Amino acid sequence: MTVVEATTAEHDERDWPVKPAPSAFAIVAGVLALAMTVVTIVSLDFSPRQVWEALSRPNAPMRGLANPDFGQLLSERSRGPFIETFRMAVLGTGAGGLVALPLALWSTRFGAPNRAVYAMLRVFNNIIRAFPDLLWALLFVAAVGVGVLPGLLALFFFTIAVITKLTADTLDGIDMGPLEAADAAGAGHTQKLRTAVLPQILPSFTSFLLYGFELNLRASAVLGLVGAGGIGSRLEFFRGQGRWEEVWGIVVMFFLVVFVVERISVVLRRRLV
Amino acid sequence: MDAAAAGERPTTKLRWVGTAAVAVIVAWAAYGLDMKWGRLLEAPGDLYTVGRLMFTNMELSAFGRLMGEMWESIAIAWLGTLIAAVFAVPLAFLAAENLTARPIVGTVRQVFNVLRAIPEIILAIAFVPIFGLTAKAGVLAIGIGSIGTLGKLCAEVLEGIPKGPVEAADAVGANGVERLRWGVLPQSLPEIASFVLYRFEINIRASAVLGVIGAGGIGQVLSESLRFKEWGTAGLALLIVVVVTMLIDAVSGRVRRRLVLGSRADTGVPTSAVEEAALGHVAEPI
Repeated sequence: MTVVEATTAEHDERDWPVKPAPSAFAIVAGVLALAMTVVTIVSLDFSPRQVWEALSRPNAPMRGLANPDFGQLLSERSRGPFIETFRMAVLGTGAGGLVALPLALWSTRFGAPNRAVYAMLRVFNNIIRAFPDLLWALLFVAAVGVGVLPGLLALFFFTIAVITKLTADTLDGIDMGPLEAADAAGAGHTQKLRTAVLPQILPSFTSFLLYGFELNLRASAVLGLVGAGGIGSRLEFFRGQGRWEEVWGIVVMFFLVVFVVERISVVLRRRLV
Repeated sequence: MDAAAAGERPTTKLRWVGTAAVAVIVAWAAYGLDMKWGRLLEAPGDLYTVGRLMFTNMELSAFGRLMGEMWESIAIAWLGTLIAAVFAVPLAFLAAENLTARPIVGTVRQVFNVLRAIPEIILAIAFVPIFGLTAKAGVLAIGIGSIGTLGKLCAEVLEGIPKGPVEAADAVGANGVERLRWGVLPQSLPEIASFVLYRFEINIRASAVLGVIGAGGIGQVLSESLRFKEWGTAGLALLIVVVVTMLIDAVSGRVRRRLVLGSRADTGVPTSAVEEAALGHVAEPI
């Protein structure tokens, strides 16, 4: 026994690979992340105990959650805005998708008419991607006043940002063979994009449209908070009056609908790609 | 066979039905919308006017204050993402088919799906009356709102790991925790970390608008200055949001490259779907 133990111990020291020391990158990243966490906790004055105390005190939103008014979404006053939300999401996605397709094509090396367009579109795409959905709504409410129009414009731009990015990424990975074939057959620029590029990305593009619709449906629920139409206007109304039963009723039922739409859309998207 | 031989395009019936259905839905949406379509023509002019007002005469004296507010938005996004990660990463282990029994996987996934459906701002609506008009409401809204997506992405990372190390851990008699610690975690940690970072980028966008309903950050200044037509302040605030967001995206993107690709970060290309997703080449995998 002792002999075996001795050899194992020797074996340990001689042959076992040494655990590599953490890389400089890992150390620096770890320290920075920790520092960032400490600084943010201090600057926001965040303490889990306070959070817990605030949450465990009785409060109006929680009381409302206990007894939500599920019928509210389909009640006479809320039904209109609910349908309006759907219409806005459909139109915003459709119009945004129509613009996103050429934008995405022109922001690739092979699809851009010239280098200047290519460079400008890449920058443009990055800028509009930095805008959150509600920010678009704020801007358009300020520009064109409250109502459905700012909401529709907000969804339009938000859709362009998302779908252009997704489509451009897909375009980066397409098979170049058909493009070369089109070139060899003497196709013009538009013919080339139409016959060699579009068929390759159309299934993905359609699935991005569906995905955009999901996002827009979800987003259009909150546009009303800033006066841009849809079911959010009802949420804002009940929130202002502190009627949490109605707020939660709408939230739960609406997102149940969103959830169902999303499941259907996921199935369709799986089929497409 | 004949159609193919003749070089006709393979158009399926399904495609026509789908296209027709979409056309009907779009017509329904456009026809019933309570909107004066003529206003659409005036919109570009209005946009131009507001843009000119915002960016030609920016209120530069507000720069310090606005940067302070932007920092608060960043801090909300960071802490919120961290809270989300604390819940989402352990839950992701329960949502990975290769690590956990099927009924549990199904349940946890549905929880993720439900959380994913609710926008942060809706959660913030509920947290503002509880925490008052403070950043805490924003942190919790972001924290809870991100659990779903983060959990789902991390579960996908865990499902994509090679089986070898897990089998090796089993072979040397590792127990459940040791198996995860030595067989699973080292393989998946870089991708998980990069998804957390990616979520942080997205959450900055979300936290920048939470102030609209009083949950802290630059959104409050932005919405108030737009409402009261203080165009100079609004323009500068908007510029700060966009530029800071883009800068953080760029830095965070570099870090994620290094995390996922390791020493290949400078020239390498992603070699798997998970790597691609972790680099943000796919905004949200299907």
